[in-house]
Amino acid sequence: MQQSILVLGIAAAAVLAPPAAAQEKIKLVNVVELSGAGATAGTNWKNGIDLAVADINARGGVLGRQIEIVHYDTQTNPGNTRAAVQRAIDEGTYAVLGPVFSGPIGASMQIAQRAEIAQIVGGEAAGLTRQGNQYLFRTSLSQSAAMPKIAAYLKNTVKASSVTVVWVNNDFGKGGRDAILPELQKAGIRVAADISTEQGQADFAADAIKVKNANADAVFVYLNEEESARFLRAAKQQGVDKPMVGETTLLGSKVIELAGDAANGVRGHVGLSIDAPVPAFQEFGRKFQARFNYASDHNGLKGYMAVAMIKWATEKQRKFDKKGLADTLRGATITPAEEPGIMITTKIEANGDLDRESYLAEVEGGRQIIKATLPMINP
Amino acid sequence: MNTSRFDAVFATLVLGAVILWFAPAGMGRYGTYVLSLWLVTAVAVMGLNLTLGIAGLKSLAQAAFMGIGAYATALLTTKAGIGWFPAFAISGVLCFAAGLLLGFPALRVKAHYLAFVTLAFSTLVWLVLRNEQWLTGGVFGISNIPRPVVFGVKTDNALPFHRFVVVVTLVLALILWWLVRSPWGRAFLALRENPVRAASLGVNIRAYTLLAFAIGSAYAGFAGALYAPLVEFIDPSPFQLSASFFLLLMVVAGGSGYQLGPFVGALLGVVLPEWLRFTGGIYLIIFAAIVIGLLIACPQGVLGLLERGWTAVRRRPLGSNPPAKETA
Repeated sequence: MQQSILVLGIAAAAVLAPPAAAQEKIKLVNVVELSGAGATAGTNWKNGIDLAVADINARGGVLGRQIEIVHYDTQTNPGNTRAAVQRAIDEGTYAVLGPVFSGPIGASMQIAQRAEIAQIVGGEAAGLTRQGNQYLFRTSLSQSAAMPKIAAYLKNTVKASSVTVVWVNNDFGKGGRDAILPELQKAGIRVAADISTEQGQADFAADAIKVKNANADAVFVYLNEEESARFLRAAKQQGVDKPMVGETTLLGSKVIELAGDAANGVRGHVGLSIDAPVPAFQEFGRKFQARFNYASDHNGLKGYMAVAMIKWATEKQRKFDKKGLADTLRGATITPAEEPGIMITTKIEANGDLDRESYLAEVEGGRQIIKATLPMINP
Repeated sequence: MNTSRFDAVFATLVLGAVILWFAPAGMGRYGTYVLSLWLVTAVAVMGLNLTLGIAGLKSLAQAAFMGIGAYATALLTTKAGIGWFPAFAISGVLCFAAGLLLGFPALRVKAHYLAFVTLAFSTLVWLVLRNEQWLTGGVFGISNIPRPVVFGVKTDNALPFHRFVVVVTLVLALILWWLVRSPWGRAFLALRENPVRAASLGVNIRAYTLLAFAIGSAYAGFAGALYAPLVEFIDPSPFQLSASFFLLLMVVAGGSGYQLGPFVGALLGVVLPEWLRFTGGIYLIIFAAIVIGLLIACPQGVLGLLERGWTAVRRRPLGSNPPAKETA
């Protein structure tokens, strides 16, 4: 009798308690530029996220729950971004991923802040984390962290006493230009020419001639991916032979692929790279190549790490609390030992900025070669 | 027709406003936001419908005027600390004045030449918005734009703001409804149909053309004044030339010259792409295909198609809202 009650009890428990695998999925919404000017960056970011979600789900999910990922396109338009972020929150997303372009981030960050939901973005513009938003987190170094490194590199390694600055006139390029100019001045480097270009510009011949005529010791190029490649080709055609120095984007795989030979000799500072001397980065690069059939740029890595940040913080707080997720991330230091997906020790500042190691690199023979590793700013 | 008579358009506008007042119940903030964005866009399209559909002027500067209105409201409410209502009025007046200033030389030319002049103006406005960073914030835009306080009620949340947008849109639509039926509106229609005959009847062509253009521009300014607090952030990108083309498309797709056309056009341009999101990565391709198919099937827009269908059923023309063949 007792035995049969026990059996019944076990059977009832088995029926009533859902098996772990059938537990409700945790929903994540990625709001990102999949069309318009930001599509190259946004697609890499999206693919990085897809890869991270597949990896995490294959290893049993987060606290035993599988991740369900949804991507919404923003058309690189602030009004649409706002709609999409609002939709993500209405649909009960656990955290908001994206966008990557700084303008759309500016248009949507108040909504996540108001809903007290963490928003993990790919933007690098310095101003984003200066607005006191406690729910915004970066996945890369900000321009204000990267530009001093560039200025030091130009002074100590390139030994330039004058520099031509070429930038794209959008929030990304203008932000970078505004951040590098004071750093160059501090380093005693003269700005020979300050050349503004357009987003989506196709012909850079005139700009390349201006660069040539300025005849500075080095050229600092701060453009988006496709524009970077077009500029490098135009500069090669016009016979510009001064060192081309860039920040992350200029040395990215997409630029190297599009610029071909013209990318050789390009050097500079790289925040994240699949060619960095970190086995996890290289392993990510191989997995990405195998799944999507092209090489990931830094945005792919950023997307992957964004999901890893969520997984780490959720397992740290041992529950799926949206506000708690942001509270856990703020001020945290995540190491690859705790969460392999983060790949490299990452410190999250109180304002959402990141601090981590970065690299100096050169493009040789169509490949990005890492020359040196720069330490964290405040380890 | 008696100019003061309430007709089907009037009834539709009021009924639509009542429905939209209650519509967001249970829709969530996203649905409410999309509805508000639809109405704000419809206000800009209404203005362009007056210039293009009623007065027959092809303007490619509607988004630029919307930008002037949005930036004026954003700057006045954030930096100058002025309330939304005066800022709204100033935005409209500013765009009205800009419309007059642009129209004065521009309206000496017609058809595609006018389009070129407005195209240049559109590019100019965009460059000013982007490059004059001391004033407009440049590419970084202006953030934290406050939402209005109406009779002591804050509209910070989605639903109160949506209801506020419904009321403002209704008022603006009714003013235009009255205008088109007034002697002025008759004069606008006469201009479009046959300028020579209109002139021979004593209509001052230059003054009326200019007026239609300026009122259309002022509506873009009003739309901008609503857009800024709706998104709470503006940068130059939504006011580019491509946005003017998109507004023009909405006028044509909705039914150029029909009073309810702007609402249908903006529904196609704003709500349809959002609704199509369920189709995933190809949603913009499906959207473009629908629009192309629509324009091939009914060059008169959705309302033109409906009217043709209605006429076929009733075997007599729809009296309330003709495309004005016989007005002059």
